[in-house]
Amino acid sequence: MEMVFIAAALIIGLGALGAGIGFGLLGGKLLESTARQPELGNQLQTKAFIMAGLLDAVPMIGVGIAMYLIFVVAG
Amino acid sequence: MPPTRKRINRLPFLQWLAIEGGLIIVLSLVWITESRLAGYSAFIGGLIYVIPNAYFAHRMYRFEGAQNAHLVVGNMFRAETVKLALTAVFFAAVFILMEPVHVPALLFTFAVMVALSPLMRWFIRPKPQR
Repeated sequence: MEMVFIAAALIIGLGALGAGIGFGLLGGKLLESTARQPELGNQLQTKAFIMAGLLDAVPMIGVGIAMYLIFVVAG
Repeated sequence: MPPTRKRINRLPFLQWLAIEGGLIIVLSLVWITESRLAGYSAFIGGLIYVIPNAYFAHRMYRFEGAQNAHLVVGNMFRAETVKLALTAVFFAAVFILMEPVHVPALLFTFAVMVALSPLMRWFIRPKPQR
């Protein structure tokens, strides 16, 4: 049973790590490119918004599977 | 020097919610052919995606423009954190409070909505207004 909790913790933890690194890079590049070309700020924000959707897909599904493991499989 | 006109982005929230809602209903109708419980679970799975995502979009477009870039990025980080936390809380609430639940329908609908999210964001872009 403990292995289920370890698996859920790994899923959530590694997903959060990946999302954190990705969002850090995305936010950093958004700031950098907005500073270079301020007139494109709104377009860059829209592109960052689209990329955020790609970026958080895997952690979101991971959260769902981890909750299933914790509350249904182990519960 | 003439005053500069600023382009303001407005997120088409209603259009977006209507398309997401329509997609959830279609997926629920597909799952309802298996059982009523599967259709209901699929609908709940779609809602678990739509509510945190609407919060994320609303929070990310609170500030705009180059002068507010640091606020945009800060809000993006906070919105993503809250979105993941809300998703976890909703899943936990469904698995604890909703009995019985058809887990494959729930997770499949949620995964399909997540996978289609970038496509929807691409096609329903914020509209620039003057």
